[in-house]
Amino acid sequence: MAGHSDSSSSEKKSNEAMNDVPVFSAENMQNNMKVIYYSRTFMSIIGGVIAGILGFTGFMGFVFYFLVMTITSIGLIARAKFSVHSYVDSWNRIILDGFMGGLMSFVLFWTFAYDIVHIF
Amino acid sequence: MAEDLVLDTAIRDWVLIPLSVVMVLIGILRYFVSKLMRSSQVPDPKIVKEGQVIVRARNLRAAANFIPPKSFLSRRVYFSNEENGLLFVPKGQTQNAQAQMFSDPNMAMDMMKKNLSMIIPQTLTFAWVNFFFSGFVAAKIPFPLTQRFRSMLQNGIDLSTVDVSYVSSRSWYFLNLFGLRGLFSLILGEENATDDTQRMMQMSGFGFDPSKSLGAEKDGLDIVQHEWALPKFEHRAEAVLKKLIR
Repeated sequence: MAGHSDSSSSEKKSNEAMNDVPVFSAENMQNNMKVIYYSRTFMSIIGGVIAGILGFTGFMGFVFYFLVMTITSIGLIARAKFSVHSYVDSWNRIILDGFMGGLMSFVLFWTFAYDIVHIF
Repeated sequence: MAEDLVLDTAIRDWVLIPLSVVMVLIGILRYFVSKLMRSSQVPDPKIVKEGQVIVRARNLRAAANFIPPKSFLSRRVYFSNEENGLLFVPKGQTQNAQAQMFSDPNMAMDMMKKNLSMIIPQTLTFAWVNFFFSGFVAAKIPFPLTQRFRSMLQNGIDLSTVDVSYVSSRSWYFLNLFGLRGLFSLILGEENATDDTQRMMQMSGFGFDPSKSLGAEKDGLDIVQHEWALPKFEHRAEAVLKKLIR
């Protein structure tokens, strides 16, 4: 997962010190969300190319997409050293955000790679 | 029964790749052109003032629990006082700000320019694709679709027995249009002009900024229940220090 560590290297702590009154630095959180978005886009493009080369068709391809997204989520959580609440404000953000956004890029690169390798 | 068509390598070389490359390049070109064409607009001081007042009120609302009750209340009165509070706008003025914003020629020109810079390259590319690349099977999409999509995806191909997965170049164009958004956001950084939907949301959002959001901020401020959190911090500091000593 070399792509992760590069793009996630600028994640910053957004929740400082207080535990009963959570305070978030909005700018840091926005930066974190951006990093998450970039990671997902990148992984969906790579996943698309891999799916095309391996020759997945139909349903298997979408299953592979979800697999790639799950791996991305796990990678991001591991990068945040499992203390998710100090980087984003809720679990949903880091797991589900941008899930569907990478789908179109995935399909494009999947079609592209599949055609180049298998049809032509 | 899916017959596996074998397509000419020339199609791959001269259709798929050039189309994708052209779309990427046009996207990059559009980004730079829109950057160059962004006219420097002198912001209206009244609007800037109102914007800053809103920011102050929002900060007060967010950090209300960190200041003692009396100072919070005095600040709140300053903002939402009926006579000269900053957030209180009499009914007559609210309509005025909206109308002014829409009839302002500079703003309208800006919006038009942004719209055009979005629509023209798309239209031109679409016409180009239709003219040059129609009438043959261009690609095979790896997943099956129902028969209803046939007319949409296979418009140049007049055989009805061909699998719906084999699509014409028009659908390759649309696939590129949607799929390259992600790629552009990676290449061009955050501020890129290629996403239509984001644009439209931005445009619909900023016309009503001053008048309505003042009222919204005032309501929000009135709702806040003040609970001074600082006394608890002493207990918390004590707990943390105790843990450290052990």
